[in-house]
Amino acid sequence: MTELNINGKQYTFDLEPETPLLWAIRDNVNLTGTKYGCGIQQCGACTVLIDKRPVRSCGITVAEVEGKDITTIEGLSEDSLNPIQVAWVEEQVPQCGYCQSGQIMAAVSLLERKPNPTDQDIDRGMLNLCRCGTYPRIRNAIHRASDLLKEVS
Amino acid sequence: MKKTTMNRRTFLKVTTIAGGSLLVGCTFDSPKIMSSANAKENELGLWVRIDKDDNITLFLPASEMGQQAHTGQAMILAEELEADWNSIKVITASNHDEFKNQMLFGMQRTDGSKSIMAFWDKLRVVGAGTKEILIEAAAKEWGVPKTECIADKGFIRHSKTGRNSSYGQLSLAASKISPPENPTLKSPDQFKLIGRSIPKLHTPDKVSGRAEFGIDVRRPGMLFAAVCQSPVFAGEIKFFDEVAAKSVKGVEAVVKIPNGIAVVADTTWHAEKGLKSLRCEFEGGNTSNLDSIKVSATFRATLDEMGKAELSGEKSLDVEYEMPFLHHATMEPMNCTAHVTSNSCEIWVPTQNQEDCMNAAKDVTGFSEDQIIVHTTLLGGGFGRRGEIDFVTQAVIVSKAIQKPVQVIWSREEDTQHGFYRPASMSRFQIELGKDGLPTKWESQIAQPNFISRFIPPLGWLDFDPLAVAATVHDYGMFPDHFYNVEGVHSQHTGVELGVPIGAWRAPPNSLNVFYTESVVDELAYLVGQDPLDYRIRLITNSPRHLSVLKQVAKQASWGKSLPEGHGRGIAINEWFPLDENRTVVAQVVELSVSNRGKIKLHRVDCVVDCGLAVNPDSIKAQMEGAIVMGASATLFEQITIKNGRVEESNFDDYRIARMKDTPKIEVSIVKSESSPTGIGEPGAAPIVPAITNAIFAATGKRVRKLPIGKQKLV
Repeated sequence: MTELNINGKQYTFDLEPETPLLWAIRDNVNLTGTKYGCGIQQCGACTVLIDKRPVRSCGITVAEVEGKDITTIEGLSEDSLNPIQVAWVEEQVPQCGYCQSGQIMAAVSLLERKPNPTDQDIDRGMLNLCRCGTYPRIRNAIHRASDLLKEVS
Repeated sequence: MKKTTMNRRTFLKVTTIAGGSLLVGCTFDSPKIMSSANAKENELGLWVRIDKDDNITLFLPASEMGQQAHTGQAMILAEELEADWNSIKVITASNHDEFKNQMLFGMQRTDGSKSIMAFWDKLRVVGAGTKEILIEAAAKEWGVPKTECIADKGFIRHSKTGRNSSYGQLSLAASKISPPENPTLKSPDQFKLIGRSIPKLHTPDKVSGRAEFGIDVRRPGMLFAAVCQSPVFAGEIKFFDEVAAKSVKGVEAVVKIPNGIAVVADTTWHAEKGLKSLRCEFEGGNTSNLDSIKVSATFRATLDEMGKAELSGEKSLDVEYEMPFLHHATMEPMNCTAHVTSNSCEIWVPTQNQEDCMNAAKDVTGFSEDQIIVHTTLLGGGFGRRGEIDFVTQAVIVSKAIQKPVQVIWSREEDTQHGFYRPASMSRFQIELGKDGLPTKWESQIAQPNFISRFIPPLGWLDFDPLAVAATVHDYGMFPDHFYNVEGVHSQHTGVELGVPIGAWRAPPNSLNVFYTESVVDELAYLVGQDPLDYRIRLITNSPRHLSVLKQVAKQASWGKSLPEGHGRGIAINEWFPLDENRTVVAQVVELSVSNRGKIKLHRVDCVVDCGLAVNPDSIKAQMEGAIVMGASATLFEQITIKNGRVEESNFDDYRIARMKDTPKIEVSIVKSESSPTGIGEPGAAPIVPAITNAIFAATGKRVRKLPIGKQKLV
């Protein structure tokens, strides 16, 4: 049996050890905010945090993450009150919205590493794909979230 | 503001449902079923449902794929209804004649950037009519004249007596009142919602992970299916051995589909794993001998058959342009969930085309329309790809075979290699210039697959492709003239059938033709030593809107102001949809630099758009931004290439799309206008392409005539 610790809850499933974490999250745990986009760690739509580090969940197996803290978009906050989510709403970032869970998780991690990111930091740190082209707004939202985080702390 | 006119009589129909909600339907040709006592609930409550607890649900014709048509359509209806915006929820309507788009061949589908313009009048009438019966209900109840009652943020108020009733409280009484045939509409100066950047309705769910896309649909007992399709287009399964696949844990069934095979399992992962264990071989197909070099050669031979023009005059230009197949690459891969039983079929699908989803389900099941329901989820991108229904047919076939709910979900590789691609195309322009530098002879030739003939076969037989003509300078008298006033035009085109599936990719035909036209005009300007902006202004003699958009974007971008070494500006303009009476005009200026190693950096894009009345300015800006990024991505990186009849690219590692670091600063301005609104989803995607290549010429002197830029040497 595989034990997964997702958003502070323990889940136990009968999974093959090589099962990609993405599909365990989506189809077994039934948390659908984490998206499938490419399966080869290129697009970032499946980004989750594992022990606070951003990981593309399509490219890591459940065996590799047993015993670790996994956070998905659903576990980021109650009522979307995480400052990054607040900034995303204030900047009206999403268009189709499909990639945005992954974008937000990547931004959470970027802001942990770089609380005052420059545009260049954002270029280097935000590698997730968005076909709708919301990049200018993601950039603005990250700067705004950086300000909001300072107000909170 | 154009006065709202209805072509046919408008009928509103109200009824109550269990619980006392008010339902309002509106129809142009009131079908008999509307007045039938046996009518189904969903046929009566077509547009508006007001619950006793004051929640208002709007059933909207548009699919929501990021273009914010839901928010825009809801704003228009809620404006006239005087609803409390916070009480509004929206759902994409299921199939009904009411929701067919009269600007899209009368089909229930979402494309052509038509959601706002096609439903502008109708949504207002429904909102205003509903408001009037609510007022009448209140007036009756209070015994006061209707004229003394006003509707305000979800309440009817009578100021003389200080009485108020919420829409929910009035819904039961209102449902017994005959609705007006011609409700009074507001004048623009009375608008409270329209014209404001109201936050998009789905944003909260999209930042919390709660938004439901196609792949998020979950039904009791649902299974998942992975598919493998013939790598050669239109090929078929020659042989398959399902034993190994069926021995994979969780795999429940293997089902043959028209051009491939589906493996059904308890999870997506098990279905994929089963598919990998399946042995199968394909045969046949349309494209087995095709490759990209042959595509180019065929186009060139086709152009040669049209013959070369004799060029004389002061100066002349003789150039050839080429564009590749492009993939939509929606972030959400193609998918559809279907549940077929012995007498019913239900579909949950991210689709731009409810009409053909219904048709596909009818074809596969043999059921009648009243046995089939099409639910539209949110779409994780569309751009035209989700106007196709190949994946819907598959889901219905698989579910029919196993009689259980099943979600067919394509891998990214299947998605990339089984698209309906933006056609590849080649064009030749031979232009002669007079003493004044203006064209005296303009010979244009285009060779490309005829995409419209898929829908209107006679156009193929006649070798006529309106999309090879629209948005170009042409001499087809039956179409509106291009905004460039050019002498001596002769335009030709020939459809080239290649066997590669082609379809609508954000802004057909502009995505091809605007690159051609705006590059060629730029070439002419430099050829005669004139500023590209001034030269365009000389060519626009009879289109004041275009002229003013062009001048405004130039001013915003500080056109003409000196730039650092290695930097250049490029300008381009287009209109959408070029064959429509009312069109959106967009012009863009790019500032970029090319390093001495040939590396391009986009610094800034200025964009001016005139789309009539701006229903939601922020949504318009977002669409321009997104279209600029997508168009830039196509210009810089994207192409689908063919080898041995197969698509070579398979995922985002070899079909590269723009990332954050490729994205410039974008400034969008909207022209103030009181004309009826026109489309915004597509018109921003095309001018960016030549604006970039024109800026490269300005920076380096190198003219890019073949896309994508990719690794072409620029310095």
